[in-house]
Amino acid sequence: MAGVYLFFAFPGRKRKKKDLYVYACDAAELPVQGVRRYYIDYPLRGKTVTKKFFIVNTSKELIAFSSGCTHLGCLINWNRTENKFMCPCHGGQYDMLGNVVAGPPPAPLNRLPLKIEGEKAYIGLRV
Amino acid sequence: MKNFFGWLDRNFGIKKPHRRFLYRSIPEGVNYFFCLGGIAFTLFILLFASGLMLAIYYVPSENEAFASILRIDNEVRLGWFIRSFHKWSANLFMVTIMLHTVRVFVYKAYRHPRELNWIAGSLILILAFASGFTGYLLPWDQKAYWATEVGTSMARTVPVLGPYLCDFLRGGEDITGATLVRFYAIHVLYIPLFMCLLLWAHFHLVKQQGVKGGL
Repeated sequence: MAGVYLFFAFPGRKRKKKDLYVYACDAAELPVQGVRRYYIDYPLRGKTVTKKFFIVNTSKELIAFSSGCTHLGCLINWNRTENKFMCPCHGGQYDMLGNVVAGPPPAPLNRLPLKIEGEKAYIGLRV
Repeated sequence: MKNFFGWLDRNFGIKKPHRRFLYRSIPEGVNYFFCLGGIAFTLFILLFASGLMLAIYYVPSENEAFASILRIDNEVRLGWFIRSFHKWSANLFMVTIMLHTVRVFVYKAYRHPRELNWIAGSLILILAFASGFTGYLLPWDQKAYWATEVGTSMARTVPVLGPYLCDFLRGGEDITGATLVRFYAIHVLYIPLFMCLLLWAHFHLVKQQGVKGGL
């Protein structure tokens, strides 16, 4: 009994997450202005995972956004006519900079670190 | 082994004060249905122990309650087991406590001179229901939320005092983080405290009056 209790109560060792930079696209494929959608495949614990993300060129800087809505994690889409990121699940909306403009999301879109080395662009993921 | 306990008891003297409590005569006509109360009490102890363990990891807050449940289920060692254990013990506790009530009723053990013990037992039954109701909200998922919405709305139908009673239970007009903290406090502090007092009274009365024999 005491053994079970100690086993349960003793803090488990957490797996440390590490930053993984994965190839996103060639530098030539980055948006010149506006928003562009990308899909990348990367290995995670022996499986191949597909991730959808966006890169925005605000004409001042390049920002990469994760496509997970900060409300409940549905995948958002870029709506070109409305100039907003829209979540299909509960009507969450974000502007081009990822700020919430409507709906239930509690926080702006998550930004991903973006690195351009030479001719190639990489995004950082925590896995 | 017997020698060891004999030596321990000679020095520590634990047997003698418990002799009167544990070695009691039992009337004729007793059968296995008389075990139901004891089973319920065993389950109460198991609930108490597993609850003590869950309390280490559960976070009674609006934003973190559900996340802490997921953490208990997925990350804490044996967390999934302890949580299921608490849940199923609670279900069985309800079942055995009600069967025990039926047994007492059928054997007419509620009659004089045991009426006070029947009252104590009824209060324990009510507390067990209250514990189940408040504990149901704690996972803080959709089912918990709406079950509590329905449950507390029932209080609203009480004449005159209804709306006040409902607001009192919820800690406000709606079910919010305040309700969660309130239910958590009732579930882990108030109910176990009063339950222990009532169980003590329940057992004291059984000892005082003896077990009512068969039909």
